[in-house]
Amino acid sequence: MEAASASSSLHHAGEAAHHGPPEAHRSSRVDPQMLGMLLFIISEIMVFGAFFTAYFFIRVVDGNPWPAEGTELPKAIAGVNTAILLSSSVTLHWALEAIKRGNRPAFKAGMATTFLLGACFLFIQINEYVHVGFAPYDSAQASVFYGLTGLHGAHVALGLLLLLIVTVRAFRGHFSPQAHRGVEVPGIYWHFVDVMWVIVFSTVYLL
Amino acid sequence: MRRHPVAQMVIVGAIASAIGIVIALVIDWFPADAAEQAGPIDTLYDVLMIVSVPVFVLVTTVTLFAVWRFRMRPGQENEDGPPIHGNTRLEVIWTAVPAILLVSLCSYAYAVLVDIEEKHDDQLVVHVTGQQFAWRYRYPQPGGRAIETTALVLPKDRPVLFKVHAEDVIHDFWVPAFRVKIDAVPGITTEVRATPTKLGRYPVVCAELCGLGHAVMRSSVRVVTPAAYDRWLQEQTAPAGGEATGGATAGGEGEAGGGGGADLAALGRETFVSNCGSCHTLADAGTSGAAGPDLTTALRGQDEATLREDIVAPDARITEGYQAGVMPDNFAETLSAEQIDGLVAYLASVSR
Amino acid sequence: MTAKLRAPGWYRSGLFLLLGIAFSWVLVGVGRLAMDYPNAWTDGEAITTVSLIAAPLFFLVGLGCFDYWFYWASGRPTRAEDHSSHGAESWKDYFRVNTDHKVIGIQYICTSFFFMFVGGLIAMLMRAELAQPGMQFVDTATFNGLFSVHAALLIFLFVIPIFAGIANYVLPLMIGAPDMAFPRLNALSFWLLPVAGVMLSASFFAPGGAFASGWTAYAPLSTEMPLGQVFFTVGVQFAGAASIATALNFLVTIITMRAPGMSFFRMPLLVWANFATSLLVVIATPFIAASQFFVLLDRALGFNFFDAFVGAGKDGSVLMYQHVFWFYSHPAVYIMMLPGFGIISEIISVKARKPIFGYRMMAFSLLAIVVLGFTVWAHHMFVSGMHAWIRVPMMITTAIIAVPTGIKIFSWLATMWRGVLRLDTPMLFALGFLTTFTLGGISGVMLAMIPFDIYVSDTYFIVAHIHYVLFGGSMLTIFAGIYYWFPKMTGRMYDERLGKIHFWATFVFFNVTFAPMHLLGLDGMPRRVADYAEQYATLNLLVTIASFMLGLSMLVFLYNMVASWRGGPRAAANPWRALTLEWQVSSPPPIFNFDAVPTVVGGPYEYGVPGAVHGIFQSPAEAKPTTAGSVATSPTRE
Ligand code: HEA
Ligand code: HEA
Ligand code: HEC
Ligand code: CUA
Ligand SMILES: [Cu+2]
Repeated sequence: MEAASASSSLHHAGEAAHHGPPEAHRSSRVDPQMLGMLLFIISEIMVFGAFFTAYFFIRVVDGNPWPAEGTELPKAIAGVNTAILLSSSVTLHWALEAIKRGNRPAFKAGMATTFLLGACFLFIQINEYVHVGFAPYDSAQASVFYGLTGLHGAHVALGLLLLLIVTVRAFRGHFSPQAHRGVEVPGIYWHFVDVMWVIVFSTVYLL
Repeated sequence: MRRHPVAQMVIVGAIASAIGIVIALVIDWFPADAAEQAGPIDTLYDVLMIVSVPVFVLVTTVTLFAVWRFRMRPGQENEDGPPIHGNTRLEVIWTAVPAILLVSLCSYAYAVLVDIEEKHDDQLVVHVTGQQFAWRYRYPQPGGRAIETTALVLPKDRPVLFKVHAEDVIHDFWVPAFRVKIDAVPGITTEVRATPTKLGRYPVVCAELCGLGHAVMRSSVRVVTPAAYDRWLQEQTAPAGGEATGGATAGGEGEAGGGGGADLAALGRETFVSNCGSCHTLADAGTSGAAGPDLTTALRGQDEATLREDIVAPDARITEGYQAGVMPDNFAETLSAEQIDGLVAYLASVSR
Repeated sequence: MTAKLRAPGWYRSGLFLLLGIAFSWVLVGVGRLAMDYPNAWTDGEAITTVSLIAAPLFFLVGLGCFDYWFYWASGRPTRAEDHSSHGAESWKDYFRVNTDHKVIGIQYICTSFFFMFVGGLIAMLMRAELAQPGMQFVDTATFNGLFSVHAALLIFLFVIPIFAGIANYVLPLMIGAPDMAFPRLNALSFWLLPVAGVMLSASFFAPGGAFASGWTAYAPLSTEMPLGQVFFTVGVQFAGAASIATALNFLVTIITMRAPGMSFFRMPLLVWANFATSLLVVIATPFIAASQFFVLLDRALGFNFFDAFVGAGKDGSVLMYQHVFWFYSHPAVYIMMLPGFGIISEIISVKARKPIFGYRMMAFSLLAIVVLGFTVWAHHMFVSGMHAWIRVPMMITTAIIAVPTGIKIFSWLATMWRGVLRLDTPMLFALGFLTTFTLGGISGVMLAMIPFDIYVSDTYFIVAHIHYVLFGGSMLTIFAGIYYWFPKMTGRMYDERLGKIHFWATFVFFNVTFAPMHLLGLDGMPRRVADYAEQYATLNLLVTIASFMLGLSMLVFLYNMVASWRGGPRAAANPWRALTLEWQVSSPPPIFNFDAVPTVVGGPYEYGVPGAVHGIFQSPAEAKPTTAGSVATSPTRE
């Protein structure tokens, strides 16, 4: 995400002279990149909404047993996994606060922990697929289960990619108390991925 | 004598609307009607036209009037209109009037809906199954037995509840003369009601895109007198040995699945007309379908075994220039053994 | 050579395309080996499916759509060249990744018209086949492919993107911004389009033929189709992604980049219309993406969302597809109409020389349509066999949508009343739109009445409705808009006489083509059929002949556009004496639109108000009032 109007202020020190369009008038206090990320998240929520619609139709409207007969969802493991993902949100927040204060070691540690926790979540999720005991084509319920958790997994993977970039840059000494939007914007996305997981977890595993 | 432009417009508009409505009511828009449901739906259409024509005329007249009266004339190149920004009263009117009109229309449409979907106690239940690309019917009988046919025969004046199923993809069971349709959806049973009111034969159409043969997924429904219907049922229940019921066929004309013909080939011809004619042209049978090969010429010199295979397992040998999967592959189940024998005999006789 | 291959551009994109296919091949092979599937390396279908998804991304990387972000993400200095692709100096610049919203606008418009001609030509083939009963030119499979590709191209590659294109060009100008909020995202969303278009069109070359399950691609038919279906499933994802990215860009631009003084209620209605449309896109489009994900998963990986028969489960939900699909595709019809409403508001006000009647209600009715648009999707499913009770609330909301739409129609009529109407080509198209769209809207209201819809659903009555709203509605507004902004975009005037010929030919033959379809439908002719009963022969022949004439009238348009762009007389900055900001700069506008940020001091449509101005280019203090509609003193670049 970049904003024509704000791009020059964005980049870390040392950037060459600005070649883009001239500053536009700012007609709103909202930051364009934040707004962009917010709108992107709204459309992401709608993608999940569509998958939840599928879930709703198969489970409620068509009255299929959930989960499909003879299968079981590993609630406990998924619960632990939820805790892992949620704690990654906390460490991310901590990292962001650290760089705002200019505490680079804490920032680096925070980013690295966040990334590792996220990767750990994804690993456990894949492991769960291997051992869950049913395949996506066994039943519609299985399809929805893999569909929803897989969609979320894809988002985690994307989020991890963003986190990886931020982490690498953190270790290279980028970002500063003045310029940390590159941490903040991916951060919002990661928090969104976390919140979404809580919803997926509650509906798919618990309800 | 110059009238106020609005008054002129109202007069012109009223005349145009009146003419439009008369035309709309006089034209016979629909195909023949043959069910109780047709009446209320056709009337609803008339009412909709009575409302719509003035709305359309209103917009058109104002547009044409504006063009006529207010178009820029030479010398006005630099003129502007009066700076009118709005008029609350007008805006309220043109919000409220359509809203009231539409809500009334909805109420009326709802009443019609309730009317055409009314449940009846003495209803006849017919199961309809759509498959690529043919319709099958099942009449549940007392004692748990059921009659399976490929011909739809209904008694006059008896409410019918169609329970509609699908075997592969979505189809849509539509009898234009009854005005009603419903999708046949894999996995669920859908329902539609009609009460036939006129004797005769009417088309049954598949109205939902279902693949290559969608355009030819046609058959027909025959509405007969209750007595003829009962006789037809009897014949269907009779064991498929096909004992003759005395020559005269129940509904008057030749009918599919009836065991009435003494001659095997005659039965074959009948079966052909009602099951195959929608796809195949065959001069002798008078059919002109175009989805499959023209059998008038394609069949020259085929032996009976090949013919039989072409019918019961059509995908075993695909005629050049055609695709597999179009011709239904379950005639062995939907037609009786005798009908297939008849078809083979008939086709063999005409191809010679 | 290696230098060419390393610099962003067509050479590198070609190389990357090949890399993408190789990558997909390896991915499929390794995946299948790991899963112990047979012929790991030779499964053409799987390789094609994965390539369709991955190769375009490689291609776009090669083209240079992502270069800037790669540099930025890695924290390397973003190079000067990455910014400088602003403006077009020669025609070649239109074939590169360019971040200037005006270049992107033109790219969008030309691409969309290209696919309009492809889709229209396909319609001609269809009409040729339908000229007589029986099969003449194509077989049933091809015919099903024809109308599916026809509709998919015209909807996803013509109407939706061309509105985005027009808005891309004029919207930043109208609100006094130098560019869109995210110029590089803007370039990326454009380049996704040709990818989608080529994919949809190329499906004709897939083994088994083009996708043939209609533009609605109902499951389970679509999950059983030959490979061509995947071209639709994936192509629509690319078009959808493009559309979401653009909408997001519009929203951010409108919210954060308006010129000083341009409050929401001083925005031109085209800006309002795009604001409303973008809301629809951001919220609804993800649903079609999901519906196609489901189809893809079912078809390619054997998932079981829709199959009610396979496996022990027998529990797929067929109707779920339709709900998800229409939750997008009904709002999509307003995505295809609201920007057109915006265009008409601009034109009618300027050409009638009067302020738009009831400006606020015009803006609110757009928002009302957005909200109501989300509550009516199941009116496409009255005969689908869904739970019967859902039909009634859907009927009511559907009918109520006619109220805000009516407000717009009546307000336009009132705007024209007592004006000084200039009946040139844009205005003629606007007036044509008013009448034909009303007709299409009314047939829509008739369709909303459940018992009537039960009879005419899936007949030619629907085809008539579709074309009255999409051709008589969207298409005519597009023509109106293209003629209206042609001088601004190209700096040249179009030929007025040819424009009028184009209008009359289009208007007459459009009606002769599509009006008889109402009769055919009422008489019982189903849609999507290659062959029909003898009784419909006469009308169909008439329709076919008229549709060929309609097609020929498009050639007049094409000729006019090409010839005028190359050699038309130079256009003044403000040939229409309009007030909105885009007309206050030179034609075509200078590279970053405004040399000084304009200040907005009044409404956009104050025609006839003595001394009214919309925007001024000095600081507000030294602003001198100018007479309405006279060419504002603007610091143009010439
Ligand atoms: C630009 C696209 C567009 C637009 C704007 C509309 C607008 C409307 N449409 Fe249409 N529609 C389509 C594109 C569009 N449609 C397409 C593509 C399909 C087919 C999809 C497929 O199956 O392939 C379809 C199908 C479709 C159906 C399903 C039919 C079926 O498959 O069985 C229905 C049913 O309710 C419907 C209704 C409406 C209504 C009520 C409106 C309303 O918004 C119209 C409102 C406008 C007016 C009414 C005119 C102006 C108003 C006045 C002058 C006020 C006074 C009016 C009255 C009092 C009546 N449409
Ligand atoms: C914006 C949308 C749009 C537009 C502009 C059109 C334009 C046209 N449409 Fe289409 N149409 C749809 C959207 C659109 N359509 C949709 C959504 C469907 C439903 C599909 C489905 O069921 O899934 C449909 C379905 C549809 C059908 C029904 C198919 C069926 O159900 O079996 C028909 C049949 O006549 C048809 C015809 C036409 C014609 C003749 C034009 C003409 O207006 C085209 C005019 C343009 C040109 C002709 C191109 C330019 C001219 C040239 C390149 C010059 C060459 C000219 C000659 C050779 C004469 N369309
Ligand atoms: C939905 C369309 C459809 C229906 C209904 C249909 N057919 Fe066909 N038929 C085809 C098509 C398409 C082919 C060519 C492809 C093939 O050979 O399978 C074909 C091929 C044939 C052939 C082989 C022709 C040749 O060239 O040798 C025969 C015989 C035949 N059909 C007989 C019948 C009979 C008898 C019936 C009715 C009981 C029937 N068909 C019903 C579509 C149909
Ligand atoms: Cu069956 Cu169409
Ligand atoms: Cu709709």
